Amino acid sequence: MGSFVLGKYIALDSPVHRLDPRAKIVAMLAMLIAIFIPAGWYGYAVLFAAVAGVILLSKLSFTFIWKSMKPMLFMMVFLFIMNCFVIRTGEVLVTVGKISIYSGAVMQTLYIIVRLLLMIMITTCLTATTKPLDMTLGIEDLLKPASRIGVPGHEIAMLISIALRFIPDLIEETTRIMKAQESRGVDMKEGKFSEKISAILSLIVPLFVSAFQRADDLANAMEARGYAPGEKRTRYKVLKMRVWDWLTVIGANALLAGTIVIARFL
Amino acid sequence: MPIAFEKVSHVYSTGTPYEFKALDGVDLAFTEGRMTAVIGRTGSGKSTLVQHLNALLLPSEGTVRVLDREITAGSTPKGLKKLRGDVGLIFQFPEYQLFEETVLKDVSFGPKNFGASEEDARKRAKQALRLCGLEEQYDERSPLELSGGQKRRAAIAGVLAMDPKVLVLDEPTAGLDPRGTEEMMKLFRTLNKKNNKTIIIVTHDMEQVFQYCDEVVVMADGKVAAHMSTDEFFADSSVCRGLGILPPAIIRTCDALREAGFDIPKEIRTSAALAKCVAQQVRRHG
Amino acid sequence: MAAVEVKNLTFSYDGRTNAVEDVTFSVEPGAYCTIVGRNGSGKSTVAKLIAGLLDRKSGEILIEGIPLQKSNLLELRSRIGIVFQNPDNQFIGSTVRDDIAFGLENHCVPQEEMDGIIERFASEVGMSRYLDSEPARLSGGQKQRVAIAGVLAMHPDILIFDEATSMLDPQGKDRIKQVIRDLHKDHALTILSITHDIEEVGMSDQVVLLDQGKLVISDTPEAVFSSEERIRRTGLDVPFSLKLVKELRRYGVKVDPVLQTDMLVEELCRLRLKK
Repeated sequence: MGSFVLGKYIALDSPVHRLDPRAKIVAMLAMLIAIFIPAGWYGYAVLFAAVAGVILLSKLSFTFIWKSMKPMLFMMVFLFIMNCFVIRTGEVLVTVGKISIYSGAVMQTLYIIVRLLLMIMITTCLTATTKPLDMTLGIEDLLKPASRIGVPGHEIAMLISIALRFIPDLIEETTRIMKAQESRGVDMKEGKFSEKISAILSLIVPLFVSAFQRADDLANAMEARGYAPGEKRTRYKVLKMRVWDWLTVIGANALLAGTIVIARFL
Repeated sequence: MPIAFEKVSHVYSTGTPYEFKALDGVDLAFTEGRMTAVIGRTGSGKSTLVQHLNALLLPSEGTVRVLDREITAGSTPKGLKKLRGDVGLIFQFPEYQLFEETVLKDVSFGPKNFGASEEDARKRAKQALRLCGLEEQYDERSPLELSGGQKRRAAIAGVLAMDPKVLVLDEPTAGLDPRGTEEMMKLFRTLNKKNNKTIIIVTHDMEQVFQYCDEVVVMADGKVAAHMSTDEFFADSSVCRGLGILPPAIIRTCDALREAGFDIPKEIRTSAALAKCVAQQVRRHG
Repeated sequence: MAAVEVKNLTFSYDGRTNAVEDVTFSVEPGAYCTIVGRNGSGKSTVAKLIAGLLDRKSGEILIEGIPLQKSNLLELRSRIGIVFQNPDNQFIGSTVRDDIAFGLENHCVPQEEMDGIIERFASEVGMSRYLDSEPARLSGGQKQRVAIAGVLAMHPDILIFDEATSMLDPQGKDRIKQVIRDLHKDHALTILSITHDIEEVGMSDQVVLLDQGKLVISDTPEAVFSSEERIRRTGLDVPFSLKLVKELRRYGVKVDPVLQTDMLVEELCRLRLKK
């Protein structure tokens, strides 16, 4: 039952939850850009502090944040190993057999890991505090200027919101199929390579079949309720920027500016 | 050999805001060789209970004994594969587990996972398919070409081909039409009587429990609220009604007739017997 | 004028075999009509054709006398609400409120009016307390009630239920059946219900029986259940009261074939020997 939490909305009542989704999206983008500005450890310290502040305000627990990062652990270890082979700058820290690990490799990996962690934390702050539908509305509104040059803002937004709506269902479905195949003797963890392939197929094929079924049902349900892409429709949720929303946008951009300053002058 | 729960609890998502105790100190022993229905409201712990039988879920507390295996909370059991071969578990809407190019290949998948040779697996798959009423003409078809009911049969054959001693079914007839349901239930009854398999079936359908099962386990709030023979369970409809369950039509009709002043003995189980009994108490023509 | 009229309707999914073939029937306004038949008999396909979700191969569909065409599809579709089988796959919004709003948005209802409409129809199906709940926190039966509210909010004249209770537990089923009955009574809606529930069939005004894509009979339940040969051939379930009537006749008790148990009990009381 839902140990996978990345991208999940957590219904709480907090100042962050109440922010206008547009403000949150813009702020997130600013923060994401800030991550990629090489502002050194000071820069990251500031960003970490800012993100930690947001997490505290959002009432999300840190165990929840930790859980969202867990799926990335494997990737981080993998990155570290790759870097150990490739990067040969700085001093040699340890030598294991023929392989030497350089300080450059460690630093480089740490940089990447810190960026990854920040990215996950920031996106989680957005997805966990913003209802999928609000997120869509935000994206739709932000894309409105682009619709003049033919970007189907509304369709993109609808696509995303539906994808988000069905992620938990698909995860549940995956667990179910996995259990059903395990009951037929599939071993998802051990086994020879060929057995692994068939284990994966036994999961993927049914998952696709059921996803298509779902998509078909959903299309029918939407059409039956009068949805027609491209047709005019009204909107239930109307977004309104308040003081705090503007402050959030300004704050995030100030942070971005600050990182640039640190990167240039410190 | 036992199929028993001793003080078993199961907690989902321990340590999260979603923590939920689905089973709470369950003590229960299923009778070997019989067909037992597990009933109860949605969320009463039925599905959690049966998933312990082939160790898909492990107890948070207590001990589960299934055939020659003993699984105690806290231990990390190894080699569960044999247990999964001995206890065939069929989930709700099992047609969603079909994935091979042909029906025969899909049904052989289970036996092959348990180490059967290609030839042996095919033989067992064919047997299981025939048992489930799918003729040879379907063997080489793609599962996707089958009708809904046929897919369900193929999926059930896929578990039967493993020749389990115990068959656990989670709402196996959901979504089937009345005749499909009847055929399916008759199949399980045959497997139970002729092939001597212990059958545990999770269901909401009281007509099925009444007609086909030997024993009833009622789950409520993660606990066993009642465990008795089907006869005992339906002998007094107040047991059913007390648990918020609508008794089968025949029991309801018996109740209504009793209320209207008819003398209906408790042993009446078939419409023929009821008709005979009523006929003696009314004016007959010709 | 019939609420729904289907004339010589034919449809094929693959272009070779017809899933629906030459089906003709009509449903009067305000009628409670059940559509029955085995899995794969074409019931759902007929429902989707009526709702304009599939394009027919030939034949005609009239909604309140107006022929259904590509050009008036959106207009006619707004007179028909359809609730599907799977509670999860028709829940579009992220909360109950948003889900009911989805249809209103499509019908260009002004934003200021939406809250009032949402609250009214949520209360109609007993979901007022859950307006801000997410689908994951609702039972199957609750999701189906939301689906009904979402459809009702668009003021349809005709409601189609495509096995809307088949994935629910008994409590959920009973509740939905009650909601449907109340709607039928209070709003004078025309109901088309695809179902395997024999009690529901017994209580309906009209039964449309399909077998292998073809119409077998469209008549009152009494008439549909009158032929044993037909029941056997089409795999139709029989209400318990009817089974009992048949047995009673074997013992020389002549009672009229009734579809509801309480009516049978009443009848038997009349015949009861006075002691």
